[in-house]
Amino acid sequence: MKNVVLTGIGGQGTVLAAKILAQAAQARGWHVRTAETIGMAQRGGSVTSHVRMGNEGEHVASPLVGAGAADMLIAFEPGEAARMLGLLSAHGVLVTASNVKQPVTASLSKTVYVAAPVLEALERREGATVVVDESALLELVGNSKALNIVLLTVAISQRDAQGNPLLGISLDEFKEAIRVCVKPKFVDMNLAAVDAVCKELGLR
Amino acid sequence: MTKKLLMGNEAFAHAALEAGVAVVAGYPGTPSSELIETVAKRVQAGAAENVHVEWSTNEKAALELLAGASYAGARTLFTCKQVGLNVASDPLMSLNYVGVEGGCVIYVADDPGPISSQTEQDTRRFASFAKIPALDPASVEQGVEMLPCAFALSERYRTPVIMRPTTRVCHSSTFVDVAEKTQGAPVKGFSKDDSRWVIFPARAYRGHKEINGRLAKIADEFSGVCASETPSGLPSEDLSRFNPIENHGDAPKIGIACGGVSTAYAKEALSILEHAAKQAASAADVAGGERGEALPSYRFMQIGTPFPFPEVRVDEFLDGLDAVIVFEELDSVIEDGLVHVAGLRAARGKSAPRVLGRASGACRDAGENDADDIVERLSKFFDEALLRREGVSGDELMRKIEERANARARAREAEAPNLDIELPARPPVLCAGCPHRGSFYACKQALKKMRVRGIFSGDIGCYTLGNAKPLDAVDTCLCMGAGITMAQGLGVADPAAKQLAFVGDSTFFASGITGVANAVYNQHDITVCVLDNSTTAMTGGQPHPGTGNTLMGPKSAPLSIERVLEALGVECIEFANPHHLDESIDAVTKAVSFEGPSAVIFRAPCVNLVKPEAPVSINAETCTVCKKCITSIGCPAIGFNGEVATIDETLCTGCGLCTQVCLFGAIAPARQSA
Repeated sequence: MKNVVLTGIGGQGTVLAAKILAQAAQARGWHVRTAETIGMAQRGGSVTSHVRMGNEGEHVASPLVGAGAADMLIAFEPGEAARMLGLLSAHGVLVTASNVKQPVTASLSKTVYVAAPVLEALERREGATVVVDESALLELVGNSKALNIVLLTVAISQRDAQGNPLLGISLDEFKEAIRVCVKPKFVDMNLAAVDAVCKELGLR
Repeated sequence: MTKKLLMGNEAFAHAALEAGVAVVAGYPGTPSSELIETVAKRVQAGAAENVHVEWSTNEKAALELLAGASYAGARTLFTCKQVGLNVASDPLMSLNYVGVEGGCVIYVADDPGPISSQTEQDTRRFASFAKIPALDPASVEQGVEMLPCAFALSERYRTPVIMRPTTRVCHSSTFVDVAEKTQGAPVKGFSKDDSRWVIFPARAYRGHKEINGRLAKIADEFSGVCASETPSGLPSEDLSRFNPIENHGDAPKIGIACGGVSTAYAKEALSILEHAAKQAASAADVAGGERGEALPSYRFMQIGTPFPFPEVRVDEFLDGLDAVIVFEELDSVIEDGLVHVAGLRAARGKSAPRVLGRASGACRDAGENDADDIVERLSKFFDEALLRREGVSGDELMRKIEERANARARAREAEAPNLDIELPARPPVLCAGCPHRGSFYACKQALKKMRVRGIFSGDIGCYTLGNAKPLDAVDTCLCMGAGITMAQGLGVADPAAKQLAFVGDSTFFASGITGVANAVYNQHDITVCVLDNSTTAMTGGQPHPGTGNTLMGPKSAPLSIERVLEALGVECIEFANPHHLDESIDAVTKAVSFEGPSAVIFRAPCVNLVKPEAPVSINAETCTVCKKCITSIGCPAIGFNGEVATIDETLCTGCGLCTQVCLFGAIAPARQSA
């Protein structure tokens, strides 16, 4: 079983990212189940998507990933990564955006909320932490709404100790899933974003 | 058939269409809304023919419409969230007495947690109160299988049938086979029969007898005991497959009973425990030590048809067991049912197990279940069974169970990550550029300038989020439409305060109008603030009577909120664009000063309906760091980096409210900065 948790802020596009992963997994013949946060939290609150993929032929029963059971946590904001870290296995890989988004509670508080201490704490963990400089990549891609594709591209490219794709999904399979899940008029833009990120970071 | 990645609600829409549903109606509410949206998409795409689908004004209107359609023989589907059924309860109770003709399925999505709701009410309880059969799917796939059965059951016994999934089924996605095209089943038309369709006391007495008779037969069907004959003469089918029983290991003495998605969590928990036991055993083999304990034998049952309770089937499940643990969410429906059957067994001199669950304190009694919690509770349950088998009892048994639980808790604590950093809470907020922000702020400013105390009665919708700091502008929130009427009661009991009631445009039509009529009739001095953003925003932007957009395509003339208010006799009606602060304060001042019922219609579209303007900019040199922009309106696009206020350009919609709040002119609208 491959368990992936995507976490971020309502409106950042975690739902579509989860859908793309699920589509790619299903195309490999795996059983898939996802769970989404829909409703009130989508108005700028913390949201989480769970994607569970039966990569060894398993049937997935529960839609939710349990404590310490995620192979990968993909965070659209570092504070949200820290909030959901309990779901990630100690050896699991964290892929996180690097810029904090100020919640109103933080702007109102006397303590300033900044990224550095959060990222430092995340990087101290046992498993790998991949910090993505998303502002530079979004500028490169030329679309501020493409954060989900940028992070997914980095996530899909992660390898295990043997050099195999960590999530068991190749970049080509990922691109095919984008073609299926994204509205036709946005497909080319998103595929170009994948290529641009791969080229910039030397991913394959 | 094609395989599609579908959310539970979407999959159930396909299943209902494939079952020949002809009329679908409901009112939006998380976690139920995507069902009707999916039906509408299929109808609009021409993939679902002979189907009428609509968002009705409210749940009561939807169910009454469907009752009529069902009397005429149409297969009908009603959808709402759990609290929506409260609104539809009046027609529902009587409809069950009258009975239906075309299959009538009442789809009610419950929300354990609650994640996006006012209550943790359990529709399975509503089913037993209303005496209506209920199906409770554990997964998307099972719900898809249940829906056609629900329609058939409804027609077989001429009863409405409730299908009650919960959020984690409604909003979980998996791949499902769907038909390319569907057809609504033909409708034969209404046959007059006043002995059947007109409810009178004598008819209700007869109806009650009919209900009791059919519930006994349906309980038998749910148990797999073949009903000899059904009232309509239609053949019964195997519904006991929704109440499966499995034995794991030889001669089990303990049982696990589950309902809904807790079935999936419990299966996950069992596989985690089995894996851990195997690992412990092989580790012991390698070390040459003593093998750990394997899991005890157990019997597993899902109760997918909680009402009428499948007593015969449950009796089989309980046979020979010493103890049963129940995993279910919201209420102790299955636990109570098991206690009841265990009591019947005891009365007949048969073995009766102990039943553990929410009511007995063995499981969570509020909020969601999850696999991790069930792992711990099953560990305790299994420990007890194994220790008892070894002959341990009394205080020693309790002490040993506690010791093992404490050891597990310590292990979990050691494994949990501890980052030792403080994170700010991130609750949901009004979006950047949301027109409600300006409306609330103007009301507060107007009362401040008038030097009067006000009470702000809120309501259900995005605007409930106006309660968050710094706006802090929602003093009450109860249920749909309650703000307007509660303000009247607050005014009677606390006449020194000015009463402002906030209602969204969709909520106004759903259940606000009767409250306004009451205010005019009984002469209550309240100000109704209608927050008209041209959509049902919280649930994802559904149309409503004020928009004129229908799901069937043709647009109707939008109902006018001001004309409704005028017709009801509201004499003072003010208008304001909530993004214009002075204009809004002025409108509120006039309406609040008016003696008698008054209204302010704040009109500006939801940010999700319009293209944003260019973001505003902050001049770091003129910004005095007074933080007034942050502490007064709390827009998520305004942050503070420790030195100056900052604008998140990806969020800012350029609404300009902050430019009117800043005392130093440090925030400039886009056209000036460009």
